[in-house]
Amino acid sequence: MKKRSILCIAMAAVMAASLVVPAFAAVDVAESDLAYAGDLNVMHFSTSEESEGNGGSDGFRTVLAAWNEAHPDINLVENVLANAEYKTQIATLAAAGDLPDVFLLQGMNTKQWAEQGLIMDLTDIIAASPYYDDYAQNYFTPFKVGDSIYGYPVLTGGTCTVVIYDKAMWQEAGFDSFPTTWEEVEEASAYFSEQGIDTIAFGNGGKWQANSCFLSTLGNRYTGPDWFQSLIDKSGAAFTDEAFVKALEETRYLFCDTDIFNDDYNAVTNEDAREYYISGDAAAFIGGNWDESYIWAALKDDDPEKFDNIGFAVLPQPADAEFAPDSQNIGLGYAVAFNSALADDPDKLAAAIDFAQEVTGPAFSSYVAENYALGGLTDAGEVDLSAFDQITADFYNWSYVDTEKCEIYDSYINSAVWDVVNTDLQTLMNGETTAEEVAANAQAAYEANY
Amino acid sequence: MLQTIKPKGKTIFWYLFIPVAMFVFTVFVPLVTALVFSFFEWKGGPNKIFNGLANYIQLYNDSTFWQAFGHNIYLVVACIIGQIGIAFILVMMINSRLVKFKSIHRTFGFFPSTIAAVCIGLIWNMIYHSKYGILNWFLKLIGRADLTQPWLSNSKLVMLLVTIPLIWQYIGYYMVILISAIASISTEIFESAEIDGANGFQQAVYITMPLIKNTLLVCITLCIAGNMKAFDNIYVMTAGGPGNASMVMAMYGYQVSFGQSNMGYGSCISVAIFVLSLLVIGGSQFLINKLTAEKEA
Repeated sequence: MKKRSILCIAMAAVMAASLVVPAFAAVDVAESDLAYAGDLNVMHFSTSEESEGNGGSDGFRTVLAAWNEAHPDINLVENVLANAEYKTQIATLAAAGDLPDVFLLQGMNTKQWAEQGLIMDLTDIIAASPYYDDYAQNYFTPFKVGDSIYGYPVLTGGTCTVVIYDKAMWQEAGFDSFPTTWEEVEEASAYFSEQGIDTIAFGNGGKWQANSCFLSTLGNRYTGPDWFQSLIDKSGAAFTDEAFVKALEETRYLFCDTDIFNDDYNAVTNEDAREYYISGDAAAFIGGNWDESYIWAALKDDDPEKFDNIGFAVLPQPADAEFAPDSQNIGLGYAVAFNSALADDPDKLAAAIDFAQEVTGPAFSSYVAENYALGGLTDAGEVDLSAFDQITADFYNWSYVDTEKCEIYDSYINSAVWDVVNTDLQTLMNGETTAEEVAANAQAAYEANY
Repeated sequence: MLQTIKPKGKTIFWYLFIPVAMFVFTVFVPLVTALVFSFFEWKGGPNKIFNGLANYIQLYNDSTFWQAFGHNIYLVVACIIGQIGIAFILVMMINSRLVKFKSIHRTFGFFPSTIAAVCIGLIWNMIYHSKYGILNWFLKLIGRADLTQPWLSNSKLVMLLVTIPLIWQYIGYYMVILISAIASISTEIFESAEIDGANGFQQAVYITMPLIKNTLLVCITLCIAGNMKAFDNIYVMTAGGPGNASMVMAMYGYQVSFGQSNMGYGSCISVAIFVLSLLVIGGSQFLINKLTAEKEA
């Protein structure tokens, strides 16, 4: 009887241990002497489901847990929602003037919320950060209004537009690497259509994907970066400018007049479209870094051969585009921001600052670099790629070393403008409206709301 | 004895006050606040600027809103015919002496209306799916692969396609209401009609329909009210797309309020939905009453 009890306890202990031991080693946050004791409300979207295979979310949750443990007097009250629900709820709370103490700010909301006095100007606080010298300064741009900074860019810097392709399938079609021009992709699509395979899978059912994961990079190829900067600064550029209209025309042409993409691109989401690639129904897929991590996890164990054949490429260059053929839009879409009311409680503010510095600091960057070969706001030094599989190493090099960076459109300006653009893009891709009409509507929304 | 059991008037008042207060708080207060906010330019946050009737003028000129209103009217008409019409036919069939296992028919008929709208949307998304959907699979099976298409990308068909699940879901709901109404009609009336030689169609049109007229009116009112605020099924299936091809008023209000952070104009749209719904419901009741009154006269 006694033996059985001991066995039961031992088994229970092993089971409990297996539940609590994380997949990766825990992190240590910097020690700090905070005077504050009490609740600190934090709202974010790194759910446990989201963090599976997603380095940024996993790193955020891990550092958050470590910070929570290191500060037993502070009760971290978390409100964690899936990303889509998070966006709606944070917009509602902002409208009600009832934002949580600490939350994740989307780049496109910065100007509007700063003007409303909802978020705290963190310029001096960030400049005083012990990690300031290691911050990648360009990541702050979407969270700036003039010279003022309103957030610590958070999670991992990842691309929003990557072409993920099956090297073996493209070799069979006669291409040793992914084509660099759309003409070549059209040639390949004749071959893939004969095989009953989609050349490239894309999902725009959520309406935002065509903007974030396609037009943002394609537009840069036509307009160059100065045009978009001018649009942000309101210094003369317009959506109706010829170069941007050409980008819209090319988008319409590629989706509507060629057989390159799956015919249901406007009815399925990126989550559906990436399954076309995984199942072999499509030879390539266009999406963001979040799709790459999903495909990586889906193929690694279940289909090692297809996994080994994963290749990464930038969007092919249109024949009449003049700029940056190797560009891809990359950045940090969210930043840790504070409710401006925190200024009234210096001790609580100090706790919030410490929290923000740690979830974006070296503890986070080292964790995601060592475990996922990803980078964040703080430079974690050179990543040892030998510790990773070839696909992870390839994606790291593709994301941070081999390609040119351009801006993510919807990290800037504001949601009222992009909502109009995104809705019109669906119609444009269906061939039911013209590039000029889309540009005119976008310009009208821009002038009315920005 | 009765006096001791009977609660005091004050007690009754406070018990009744709770549901009334809840109703006022959850329905009346949001309505009034939406009305107030609709006169402001409010892009979220504490800053609101009074702009008089500017939001209503914008609404008047907003082609997307009126397109969405047209889609709601389409839903109302299609669902009155589809939901109540089919429900009535099914009820007449179930009430026939030839039909066995009536309770099973009732249960299975009612079942879809118990499923969450989001699940209904997902189920029908799978049916319409271009690659893996049962609809395209069936068309290929019968040798009509030429008819297959990405259904929900088709702007011309999308309203019909999002209406079908709505009709399918609520047929059973109206069946249950109509069955209970018909059950209250004396069977002697039907027996007399049968002896007089009336067939099933004549019994349905000349006996059943006039005797359940008030219930049918309730059904039509419920149907109009439900479809003027349609949102969830369509949001899951198309999010109003492609473009605005399946946009409905409630979804447009949601998109403006939360997608565009334009709470003032979003409130204006909410008020417009309320007013237009009242007008459509009132108008339809007036029309039905007038038509039936003329017939009775």
